Amino acid sequence: MNREALRGLFTAKSAKVNTNKGEAYYKELYKRCQKRLEELKNLTPVNKVSISEILEDEGVSRRDFLKWASAVTAMLMLPSSFTPLVADAAQLMNRVPVIWIELQDCAGNSEALLRSDGPKIDEIILDIISLEFHETLMAAAGHQAESQLEDAMEKFKGRYLLFVEGAIPIGAGKEWCTIGASGETFEEHLKKVAKNSAAVIAVGTCATFGGVPAAAPNPTGAVGVMDIVRGKPIVNIPACPANPANMVGVILHFVLTGQIPELDSLLRPKFAFGYRIHDNCERRAHFDAGEFVEEWGDEGAKNNFCLYKMGCKGPMTFNNCSIVRYNEAVNWPIGSGHGCIGCSEPDFWDKYAYERPMADANIKAPTGGVEKSVDEFGLGLLTAAGVGIAIHAAASAVLGKRDKEGEE
Amino acid sequence: MKIELLEKVEGEALLEYSFKGSFIDFVNIKFTSFRGIENILKNRPLFDACAINPRVCGICGHSHLIATSKAIEDILDFKPSLKASSIREITLLCEHIQNHLKWLYLTIVVILGKFGFLKRDFLKVQKAVIAANKIIAIFAGQYPHTSYSLPGGVVSDPTFVEVTQAKAFLSEIRNFFESEILEREIESFRDFENSHLLAAQIFNFLKEKDLAHIGRAYDRFLILSQKKKIINMREYIADTAHLKEEENRDSFAKNVTYKGKFYEVGPMARVLKKPLIKDLHRRYKDSLAVRIISRIYEIREHILKIEHLLDNLNLDEPSFIPFPKNISGFGEGVVEAPRGSLIHRVFTKNGVIERYDIITPTQFNLSNGTRDNPSVSQKAIISLDDTKKAELVFRSFDICSVCTTH
Repeated sequence: MNREALRGLFTAKSAKVNTNKGEAYYKELYKRCQKRLEELKNLTPVNKVSISEILEDEGVSRRDFLKWASAVTAMLMLPSSFTPLVADAAQLMNRVPVIWIELQDCAGNSEALLRSDGPKIDEIILDIISLEFHETLMAAAGHQAESQLEDAMEKFKGRYLLFVEGAIPIGAGKEWCTIGASGETFEEHLKKVAKNSAAVIAVGTCATFGGVPAAAPNPTGAVGVMDIVRGKPIVNIPACPANPANMVGVILHFVLTGQIPELDSLLRPKFAFGYRIHDNCERRAHFDAGEFVEEWGDEGAKNNFCLYKMGCKGPMTFNNCSIVRYNEAVNWPIGSGHGCIGCSEPDFWDKYAYERPMADANIKAPTGGVEKSVDEFGLGLLTAAGVGIAIHAAASAVLGKRDKEGEE
Repeated sequence: MKIELLEKVEGEALLEYSFKGSFIDFVNIKFTSFRGIENILKNRPLFDACAINPRVCGICGHSHLIATSKAIEDILDFKPSLKASSIREITLLCEHIQNHLKWLYLTIVVILGKFGFLKRDFLKVQKAVIAANKIIAIFAGQYPHTSYSLPGGVVSDPTFVEVTQAKAFLSEIRNFFESEILEREIESFRDFENSHLLAAQIFNFLKEKDLAHIGRAYDRFLILSQKKKIINMREYIADTAHLKEEENRDSFAKNVTYKGKFYEVGPMARVLKKPLIKDLHRRYKDSLAVRIISRIYEIREHILKIEHLLDNLNLDEPSFIPFPKNISGFGEGVVEAPRGSLIHRVFTKNGVIERYDIITPTQFNLSNGTRDNPSVSQKAIISLDDTKKAELVFRSFDICSVCTTH
């Protein structure tokens, strides 16, 4: 691999994560978030579910809830003094309507969101956010569901967060994929629903970079959301499946600050994609000590040695799996003894998802990408949100801003 | 002609009903999405299939992974260690459990609600679903989508601690299931009818609404992983060589027949010979009620099976036996996925995939046949008098569009 490109990758400004922006910054931010939450409190909730009641019903104590809130605060890279604000924000999630659509996918992200994570986070997602439309989850189906989507789009015009799961075929095979009785193509459908959204959140690698349908020879000409939707703030949460913790993180961040979180050059939130798997890997010590699995099932494998030589792509994959893990932190792929397959990186099917070690892999440092100013998004989002929040006066200083200087 | 759009099938399906008088005399089944996974696999290194195939489906990705491992192992007629096979089976059965529970609460209970059945809270069952996913995560790393099973065995090497953890999660599922859905000891129809738990409530509700007898198909089943077919309750030997996959007139799902005939696959086929289901079948044949109860019953079977596997896991055996890479030949892997027999076929030359064929269980059940030769689900729907009932019957097959089209 080209050493220069590699150096460029890790020294680029857009790849840097600044976890301490100074006391003055956080003080200011704290005040602004407080104000935003006050204003959200005065809004009529989209649904009337109360988080404290649900948590009580489920036997989750206030203490557990605050523990969860402090973990999320840390994940969002905010000082621990923000914990009460995050807890408040979680209770105000029902002020933000969410529409979720599925395109060319396997429903794995919905699965991850709905059935795999802890009841606490799930409840917050399911009951507190106002999921106005989710085809797998909701009770209505067929024509009824279609009109429900239309209603939600009209009622929450300019205010809803649109979550998209699945790739969009625009190639020769686009007419193979249609939605609804009218036979709209996925591209038309996405454009229609995105038009009046406040922001679009692409969930999973298919929606972000085309994912498996886009693997060579890309039979249907599949692309990601950011190749289709223009003029809207877009947040990419790749990985296959995307980690529910990161989906919740983005929504919470939006509720808390009114903005999308700070993004890297591929529009991924830095709080989740600011590090490599390798940086925080539980097997890192074995890498440093030169202790590797040399063959599946060997002594090294039995002793949880480093999987680098077995084709682990952790050193080139940006994601927080090694910290957040999966299924309520029970485990994660490297924990079970299989290397990382780089499922949150662009083109991972063609460049990462195999057992050949990195030295033999044709992986280019993913610099460049889509460079967009997050400031612009932030402002757009606030106005589009139309919830009358006046915290954007000094938007350029708000969290969710990316350094303008660009590359170093 | 009446067209109904079905959602909540992990994608979409279109049902085009045609009526004769007030009865449905035919239904055209269409799936409207396509990804081309088999084309993507062509010309790739053989082992790449282990990373790509689990992504065919977000729900039964495990079944696809294990079918892939088995297909590649079959090229060399390789048998993994008993420990590796047991771990694969444990995670596979957990995948069944979480799928069946989800189907029960998110699909069946919801649609029965349209006929007046009492609503249930999904969050109640969710803990059991999560526990099943956690058992998968213990051995496989995460749920959904993992690549922990490879030709040669599995990469995880659990210790006594992990096995104990898994047992604890399993007992959570068991406690929930036995106190909410179906008691452990019920094996006779009489006891079942008198139960007050969810399974019996559903059954009695169907009877009360005159829905128990509807939805009958051909009463012929395939359990290909056991090389079995069951016709009118008689067992015969079956061979995947008789399967035929055909392009479909106007859907992206291909039709699948066995010796030219449509067969049903899935939980009903697998538990048909168990005392309670046998008893039910004697009275209700292969009807909607038996199809639904079979899927619920299978959860109980699986819990017991996993318990047995965990108790007997020999941790001293190897998880993995080295498996060569640059191989040539043909291999076939058959597993029982949540929705029925799943077949992967691979043709490879010097470690490169020349051709890869996937036949999914939903293709068997949801083929789009003709008026003269309707598929299993079409046969079950034809002659009903109401599209609401037809939808219930259709969904009793546990539809999944992503697998069907892949």
